Amino acid sequence: MSIEKDVVSRAIKGDGEAFAQLYRDYFDKIYRYVYLRCGNRAEAEDLTQEVFVKALEAIGSYRWRNLPFASWLFRIAHNHVIDQLRKQGKVERVELEDNIVVADEPNPALVAEERFEVEELRDKIKKLSPAQREVISLRFGAGFSTAEVSEALGKNTGTVKALQYNGIVALRKLMLGDSAQ
Amino acid sequence: MIPKIEDILDECLERRFGGESIDDCLAAYPEQASQLEPLVEAGWACRRNCAAIRPDAEFKARAEYELQAAFYANREEVARTVIIPIWRRGWAMAMAALLVVFVGGLGTAAASANAVPDEFLYPVKLAAEQVRVTLTWSDVDQARLHVEFAERRAYEMVEVAREGKADKVSMLADQVTRHLGEMCLRDKTEEVAEEGSRALAPMPAASGADAYSEGKGTEGLEAFLSQSRAESVQALTDALVRAPEVLKPIIARAMENVAEDYDRTISIIQNTSGQ
Repeated sequence: MSIEKDVVSRAIKGDGEAFAQLYRDYFDKIYRYVYLRCGNRAEAEDLTQEVFVKALEAIGSYRWRNLPFASWLFRIAHNHVIDQLRKQGKVERVELEDNIVVADEPNPALVAEERFEVEELRDKIKKLSPAQREVISLRFGAGFSTAEVSEALGKNTGTVKALQYNGIVALRKLMLGDSAQ
Repeated sequence: MIPKIEDILDECLERRFGGESIDDCLAAYPEQASQLEPLVEAGWACRRNCAAIRPDAEFKARAEYELQAAFYANREEVARTVIIPIWRRGWAMAMAALLVVFVGGLGTAAASANAVPDEFLYPVKLAAEQVRVTLTWSDVDQARLHVEFAERRAYEMVEVAREGKADKVSMLADQVTRHLGEMCLRDKTEEVAEEGSRALAPMPAASGADAYSEGKGTEGLEAFLSQSRAESVQALTDALVRAPEVLKPIIARAMENVAEDYDRTISIIQNTSGQ
């Protein structure tokens, strides 16, 4: 049994430490994905926390054979984000903010540069088609493999790779457009 | 058969993410290299920028703490919703408690007694506390437990301050406030009779998270702890006036302990920031 499979099995049986381990393993990934989808730090924090509460409520019904745990968790995140965006009557929130947390970087110039790059990227990702945006957010934000993205989204890997290719081509064009200005 | 460009790009990205250089990734596909290179670079830049997106560490820690509480509350809720004929529920609860105590729960609970946040057995400690509250029927005894748990959180605050975990300090201070708020609820049965449910409004919880993030450092944390200390001592002072005689010595002792633990925590933080 893989380590993660063992941890998931223990979490299903009500082992709090096992669930905490899954939380620590996946929190940052889910947060990055949600942040790229909603574009707001406070909202991303709230939504990420809610995703884990939903996972906690549903983990008793999780079965490994149907879906890898990561894909299961991201399916919850995906559905929750979509629900929230629908409730708010918007497709994406487009706003710039200055409160992105950048990891322990003591150099203010580097912090500002990193922050700017993250905002630029988020802005460009928002301009992709919804399907491309979803794949790019999972693949690069959450760090999923193509197979995991395909399981999380319920699409075949060929479609995911095509969406990834087209998404990167579009991002590249947007980057070039910026540098030409 | 020539692989599709999207398959090649995916393979190259995987290898690049795995630590290979861009030239190594493209070496297997010389004919497509010029087309692929800018795309692999764009994918790599995308990945690198995404890695800079991180949640606030203090929020993450607080969310984990709240999730742990929800986890145990969830288990308790599941346990409560098991359909048991009403005349047998008292027996079922008693049997469950006996099982916990005699089939090994006591050993684990005892082993967790000194656990502090971030330690493996800490969730067990919180769960054991929750079980004790659940299995206690009298308001006076529940108030007594909440005072005891507030003291524990204050003591843990000193320990985590020594370890330099500022985010945990503010979270534990919130927990002290929460337990004292719970104690006040148990202590208000007479007022409820007179004032109705308004009397059950919980003590306004100080938000360690907000205070800490506003101050963005030890000064903010110190200010928050001083405020939290004052509120906690005030809550205990008020409770001392109202409490039945049996609780008064416990509350008086808690006032000393909690105040002392706050002072020790503040002192540790001041010393740490001065170094």
